[in-house]
Amino acid sequence: MPPEAPVPADLTPQDVAQWARRAGLPLESERLDAVTATANHIQAVVATLRELDFADVPPASADTVGPEVRDAAV
Amino acid sequence: MRPYELTLAAAAAAIRAGELSPVELTDSVLARAEAVEGRLHAFVTLRADEARASAARAAHEIAAGRARGPLHGVPMGLKDLIDVKGQPTTASSSVRADHVADADSAVAARLADAGAVLLGKTHTHEFAYGLTTPQTRNAWDAGRVAGGSSGGSAVAVAAGEATFALGTDTGGSIRVPAALNGVVGLKPTYGLVPRDGVTSLSWSLDHVGPVTRTVEDAALVLATLTGHDPRDPADATVPRQGRRPYPEGDLTGLRVGVPRNYYFDRVAPDVESAVRDAIDRLRDLGAELVDVEIPMTRYVQAVQWGLMVPEATSYHERTLRAAPELYAPDVRVLLEAGELLLAGDYLRAQRARTLMRRAWTRMLDAVDVIAAPTVPLTAAPAGQQSVQWADGSVESVSDSYVRLSAPANITGVPALTVPVGQDRAGLPVGMQLIGRPLGERTVLRVGSAYEATRADAGRLAPETGTPAAAESMPPAPPAARHLPGRRS
Repeated sequence: MPPEAPVPADLTPQDVAQWARRAGLPLESERLDAVTATANHIQAVVATLRELDFADVPPASADTVGPEVRDAAV
Repeated sequence: MRPYELTLAAAAAAIRAGELSPVELTDSVLARAEAVEGRLHAFVTLRADEARASAARAAHEIAAGRARGPLHGVPMGLKDLIDVKGQPTTASSSVRADHVADADSAVAARLADAGAVLLGKTHTHEFAYGLTTPQTRNAWDAGRVAGGSSGGSAVAVAAGEATFALGTDTGGSIRVPAALNGVVGLKPTYGLVPRDGVTSLSWSLDHVGPVTRTVEDAALVLATLTGHDPRDPADATVPRQGRRPYPEGDLTGLRVGVPRNYYFDRVAPDVESAVRDAIDRLRDLGAELVDVEIPMTRYVQAVQWGLMVPEATSYHERTLRAAPELYAPDVRVLLEAGELLLAGDYLRAQRARTLMRRAWTRMLDAVDVIAAPTVPLTAAPAGQQSVQWADGSVESVSDSYVRLSAPANITGVPALTVPVGQDRAGLPVGMQLIGRPLGERTVLRVGSAYEATRADAGRLAPETGTPAAAESMPPAPPAARHLPGRRS
């Protein structure tokens, strides 16, 4: 990972409680440990994408290259 | 041969010849389901009376000279994410306890128009968010996982409880259970088969496709799902009955890409040897084998999760707030954690997907199909959480099952799994054939040519539900060690 892209910090259960409230999903305290562990695991996986230099590459939804087709029956 | 043992193509031929009636076929399949459901639990609901009535209508129409095609009067199952008007779409979840579909999904309507007989809905891992389908048992060994999320569809087809079925595939959910149960599964090109009326897991990764006993059967179902008129000479996208523009079984001139990275890494030795033997058979049929380098493999899981996790959470936004306790614990925690991903993570995944699609397009310029294992290991014992590979790494069983399937979901290219034998424990192994966008005909051609080399093509899972002796599989070095009860 390049030096300009620091590894995202793990969330603590307190962070998760606050972020979840922000998302409009209040979590009961007994949920926090499991959700925190899962959220941090997901973040660790997706964080590898920070290594990529995307330059002007658009998201796939806006990109015309690719096999996406409309219903071929229509 | 009893009717429930017939492939779709064989059943259709027998019906067309007047040797078998849809009523006999449906009765036979229902009796088979009654005999094995107590052990396998492939179906959420079986609607025997409605199926018999539908079969009787088909028989009457065919007798009156109004045959609709090869699916007419053939009994099938639909994964319970697929809407059928007036029936619940439970998604195998308590969240959907009161659901009733108010219209047919596009695929259910097309199958109904083709005269197929709906037996009932098959189990899915809850809302398709998992790779094991814990309610359902593997058709070859009831102590092992069915695979998922279309576990019910694959088990029903493998056990003769349905002549064919439909599944959905977001990260391998058609191909994984098909491979683990020794049947054929096709994930078509993204967008080729309509998803209207199909419960979504992740809109940008979801596909609907057939689970069948043979490649020929998959081609017949695909032709119906895509809505193409088989008589239309302008149809260039799907295979058609009766049209064979190439010598059957001859793969001369076809370039088969054999990955030198990724697809054979961290793969059980028995799986690798079965798939490499199958690739050798493709060469013997005339194909040219070409080494290929799979691009951007380091980012496959990150892109898959970066797309799927927030999309799934978004789909469930309201019910996760209204009734979170109705979700199974494994699904609930994923949906809740998905709320904490940032928009930047999602956009990074979509931008990486653009790069990955472009890189795959360049790679596929050099070959017609890629041949590789479908899953790195055969069906794991129920309850096993993780697997340790020969390099010492530990991986969850679910991550392992997704690993080789996800690239075709991210890039949208068609991918077919075909049975290629069994491991030393007698459990089925699948080979994946991955094609260019809209390259279904080529993928099916290669799968069909391979299948024709096997004496056991289209067979059902062993009667006993326990694995048979491995087919000419030499003793192998110690396989990946299975570690029950651990998570990676």
